[in-house]
Amino acid sequence: MMSENVLEIKNLVKDYPGVRAVNDVSFEIKRNTVHCLVGENGAGKSTLIKILTGAVQRTQGVVILNGQEYCANNPKEAKQKGISTLFQELNVVDQLTVEENLTLGMEDTSFGFLKKTSKIKKIIDVLASLEPSINPRQYVSTLSVAKKQIVEIAKAVASDAEIIIMDEPTAAISEGEIKRLFQIIRGLREKNVTVIYISHRLDEIFTLGDYVTVMRDGCHIETKKVSDVADRSELIKMMIGKTIFEAYTPPETPAVETILEVKNLNNHKLKDISFSVKKGEIVGFYGLVGAGKTELARAIYGLDPYEGDILYKNEMLNPSPSDAIAAGIALVPEERRSQGLFTVLTIRGNVPVMNMKKISNKGFINKAKETHATLEYIDKLNIATSGIEKEVSKLSGGNQQKVVFSKCLFADADLLMLDEPTRGIDVGAKSEIYNIIRQLSKEGKSIMIFSSELPEIINMCDSIYLLYDGEVKASLCNSCDINSEMIIHIVTGGE
Amino acid sequence: MMNGNSIQKTTRKGKMSNESFITLFMFVVLVALFCIACLFVPNFYMGQNILNLVTNYWYVIIIGIGVTFLLTTGNFDMSVGGVIAMTGVLSVYFCQSTDGSQPLAVGLGLPYGIAVVLALLCALCIGAINAFFIAKLRVASIIITLGTMSFARGIGQIVTLGAQRNTSLPEAYGVIGNAAIPGTSVKLSVLIMVLIVIIAVVIEKKTVFGRRTYLIGANSEAARLSGVKVTKHLTLLYLASALLAGVTGLLLASEYKAGISGRATGYEFDALVITLLGGTSISGGFGSVLGTVVGALILSVVTSSATGLLLSPDWQFTIKGVVTFLAILAQRFALDRRKG
Repeated sequence: MMSENVLEIKNLVKDYPGVRAVNDVSFEIKRNTVHCLVGENGAGKSTLIKILTGAVQRTQGVVILNGQEYCANNPKEAKQKGISTLFQELNVVDQLTVEENLTLGMEDTSFGFLKKTSKIKKIIDVLASLEPSINPRQYVSTLSVAKKQIVEIAKAVASDAEIIIMDEPTAAISEGEIKRLFQIIRGLREKNVTVIYISHRLDEIFTLGDYVTVMRDGCHIETKKVSDVADRSELIKMMIGKTIFEAYTPPETPAVETILEVKNLNNHKLKDISFSVKKGEIVGFYGLVGAGKTELARAIYGLDPYEGDILYKNEMLNPSPSDAIAAGIALVPEERRSQGLFTVLTIRGNVPVMNMKKISNKGFINKAKETHATLEYIDKLNIATSGIEKEVSKLSGGNQQKVVFSKCLFADADLLMLDEPTRGIDVGAKSEIYNIIRQLSKEGKSIMIFSSELPEIINMCDSIYLLYDGEVKASLCNSCDINSEMIIHIVTGGE
Repeated sequence: MMNGNSIQKTTRKGKMSNESFITLFMFVVLVALFCIACLFVPNFYMGQNILNLVTNYWYVIIIGIGVTFLLTTGNFDMSVGGVIAMTGVLSVYFCQSTDGSQPLAVGLGLPYGIAVVLALLCALCIGAINAFFIAKLRVASIIITLGTMSFARGIGQIVTLGAQRNTSLPEAYGVIGNAAIPGTSVKLSVLIMVLIVIIAVVIEKKTVFGRRTYLIGANSEAARLSGVKVTKHLTLLYLASALLAGVTGLLLASEYKAGISGRATGYEFDALVITLLGGTSISGGFGSVLGTVVGALILSVVTSSATGLLLSPDWQFTIKGVVTFLAILAQRFALDRRKG
């Protein structure tokens, strides 16, 4: 006899070094429903999903699938046991046909030749019932993102998945395609499939969901029928709760002198963005993943082409990183290891790279100056290391980020752009980084923070720009009565 | 927290850099191989033989320097052998007098100095092609430089009709390649090699340019975001590598007083082998010119001891291969142990 619950999660805990990502979470998922999972960045949703798909292992707790204890050591095992996932990065091979994609890895052969079996026919039938307009002989490269997703869904359904996890499936597809995708998701109920649906777009939850689970700071807050949720704002309240923000302190002297002015910036991602940054000001850009924060930083730094004007200290900025650095702008990039650091080199090899002039004379490096500079920054930013010759790859995340900061500070920049400055580092290092940022602002440096963590933005920034889909939707001055519910409302696409 | 003083102390004690460690390690391997060879090969320890060992491979060392710098940035240069052949042939063709009796004896009749400059410019053109496709368009370096390798050698073959040009040359042509350092039997080419090595080591260890070479190899994206002009830097390196190969080509052609289209076949691989023997990482970010020199000496000891043991020259390639394998395995092992 099948129970009503397809999945039961009991007291699930996941600890990472220095942080508890999932904290004693328990809830149930009813069979053949669409169950939405919402929460801010860092709420623990993705860790929970990673446990279900076998990408990470839980620290404690029990998961029961169909009345039996469930544990997967890797995504393949999860799939065999009935949990398939539709990741944002789709798992299809563009160079193959739809049919070849669907049957990839389960081909039957006779004398080495491919055979058409009933298994394959079943998959093709599933696809036809989901979306007849997709021809199995078509190459996947000719399909839109939405149709590729449908191919993946068909594959999951045909492999008898009980649960399909969908991670922000609508992030990259058009309005019309979203409608079609929703029809298909609703139709999955009849095919005995339960959907766990993750999205930042809250409206989708009301159109699509049967149940919704809210998570916050690793904890389970509430699981409810969607029909019992009054409106968006109730959901938002549950998501942000009564988070006590560290007190934001306004600067003693208001900033006056404009240092950076951006006028009507447009490119492949950004739409007509204008703003200005003053000397000593901390300006925050808040938005969800894909809102255009990184693209904005890259455009200003001269990494991506754009139309529009960027004036730095009243002069047009040349679109090249070396010119930006020479003018006095430095970027702490989003990806610390792949963009910010030379991990195979030592701390000494990393700290001075953005301003070699300071440690050299006519192109020759002055070893004493180099050592001195490195020691100075190890001391200033309190980098925990046994010496300047330590390879950066051996430092902890927080200390690595401090090395990236050292690089930018050593460049003597007057404007620092920080893209997700505290991603993936522990709480202690986070607050140290915040203190460094405040100190820099006091010294008269201007700082732009691009972040998808609201507390970070609200704690730090003097003025805040809200980004959604490449546009500035609102700008506000920070004060103690800032309305975080309104902010979430705007960045999740509300009007 | 670590305070400034204790950090200073550990710095002063001075842990050797990984590059120096590997260079030293390979030097020990070199000495060991030499001692073994002395036990088995008669007269291996004689002064003249040692001098030969050190000077034998001057041409591979010169091109190896360009290859080392490029490999440190994570890029290959397989065109150097072709450039040697092309530059040699062209310099001969430019110099040959216009009134020869048969096709391969007729040249452009240019003065020696101009011929040399023109030939080097042609070598630089090959470097510029490499740079355009690799640094600017970001095509994989192995593909492009294999292409220019054939292209350059092809030019040599066309100009020599697949053979060589060695007649109607001015007297001046054969001077530099056969000159010796006064009072010794050591060729001037060896002295040039030593000078280039010294300059390269200084650039590598002491200058901002050298440091940027490592940065690009360690992480070219981070280098770009840190303000390194990656395209310009790689362009300079490819031009320099082609120029070094061009100079080598001129010296070799002068030594033989001939432009031979089949000259330097396989030298690009020898240059790569000594670079790897010297510890330069095939994925970039790690490398040493001195290591490359040590690598060349190892190759030299191995090949000449094989000759000394009266093995037929047919064995040389196999022995080179085996030694390369063993040396690189030993090197990786040592480095991993050290990193712990």
